[in-house]
Amino acid sequence: MPDLIDGSENVSVHGILNWIILLVIFSIITVIGNYIGYKHPMTDSLVGMGILSLITLVGVWLERELPFNVSSILYISIIGIVLAFPGMPTSKFVLHYVSKVELLSIVTVFLAYVGIGMGKSWDEFKALGWRAIVITILVIAATYYGAAIVAHIVLVATGVPAV
Amino acid sequence: MLTLYADSNYVWGLIFIPTGDDEGHVEHIYREKTDRRILRKNPWRDYRLHLTVLGLVFIAEMIGTITIPIAKNVAITIMPLIYTIILGLVFYLAKPIKWIQRKQARIAEGAMMLFIGVLIAKLAVSSGQSINLIFDMGPALILQELGHLATILVLPIALLLGFKKESIGMTNSIGREPNVAVVVDKYGFNSPQSRGVFAIFIIGTVIGTIFISFLVTLSLSFLPLHPYAFAMASGVGSASMNAAAIGPTLAAFPGLETSIEAFAGFSNLLSFCIGIYIVIFIAIPLTEKLYNWLEPKIGRDPIVQKKEDE
Repeated sequence: MPDLIDGSENVSVHGILNWIILLVIFSIITVIGNYIGYKHPMTDSLVGMGILSLITLVGVWLERELPFNVSSILYISIIGIVLAFPGMPTSKFVLHYVSKVELLSIVTVFLAYVGIGMGKSWDEFKALGWRAIVITILVIAATYYGAAIVAHIVLVATGVPAV
Repeated sequence: MLTLYADSNYVWGLIFIPTGDDEGHVEHIYREKTDRRILRKNPWRDYRLHLTVLGLVFIAEMIGTITIPIAKNVAITIMPLIYTIILGLVFYLAKPIKWIQRKQARIAEGAMMLFIGVLIAKLAVSSGQSINLIFDMGPALILQELGHLATILVLPIALLLGFKKESIGMTNSIGREPNVAVVVDKYGFNSPQSRGVFAIFIIGTVIGTIFISFLVTLSLSFLPLHPYAFAMASGVGSASMNAAAIGPTLAAFPGLETSIEAFAGFSNLLSFCIGIYIVIFIAIPLTEKLYNWLEPKIGRDPIVQKKEDE
């Protein structure tokens, strides 16, 4: 298998700077989209994106610095949950600003990068036959409906009122 | 197929993947690639890429959400996130647009890896805020992870369409990065099972987000399920598909934004933490059993084209 190097090298200052600049670019685009789509004040949502970017930065850095074989997703999730935990001194500040950034604004920008990035797979996609496309569609639908139906049954069985 | 894997698309790292002694490091491939793109080059220098994204976002947000009623109580909602993903792909494929090429796509892919973190952070903040609700709904959240096993039901159809052992790789899970790594780890890089999961991965990459967005939109109209069930189901274990599935769900239940984000985020996290073990210990063995039982009964002549073998 090509491209297979164990990569637990330490992150240079230059690398961290690259992360920061990318996150700043992402934040600015998201804040602009957030303003056009939802009219949230730009300064508040910029602080919100700053908080989210900082959590991300710490998460990806920890993934590479700590010796555990654990994805940054887990670190980022834990930091985010703890910061917003009811009763934490940070929670009021974090919630106020982060709530000014709509999830959909982040998703819209994120998926623009996804769209450009997935163009690379286009030729391989075209080479695969219609049968594989049928199976993919069915697999995605099965995953979604499987989870939705089980969740619904458990929610109803445990008496969670429909809101 | 070798280059295909090396070029694999947007990537989640893996959480606690048990690897064999000799086969190790499968889980590092994605991180390595990202590191090479982000840490050793200066991805922000490609300002035209980021300006293009800004332009796409501007257009998408200006158009806003469009709702098309197709029948009584049934409507298709097209959200800005669909415009940006399709426009992004169009910009890459369109010949006149010379400043978005393969190089920019690689940068976009690497950058995306980092931006997943922001998405996860936002969902985590919602989860933390609603942590009591999450504990209350614990059983539903954990059991719905088993619902993902429903993919195995597609196996007979794959056999009827003429797939052989590829079908095991295709139908054991949704076929995103962690699943690809698990299948490759178990069956080897050049096995039919790996070919199957690669195919699902590539197709899922290209049409998955768009397809799931429409699937969710329609389901919200047709299926009278609990709003939280829709939220939990959107955590399918792929950042972009999760994102595309939450959109219409948020729009359908105004006033429940925080709880929907909390459940979607937490369920996606669970998909990564325990979903992978469900695939390793339940889904793959079950798929194999079903294959061994059904293949002699309904298997067809193999149809896998030679070019897929490359």
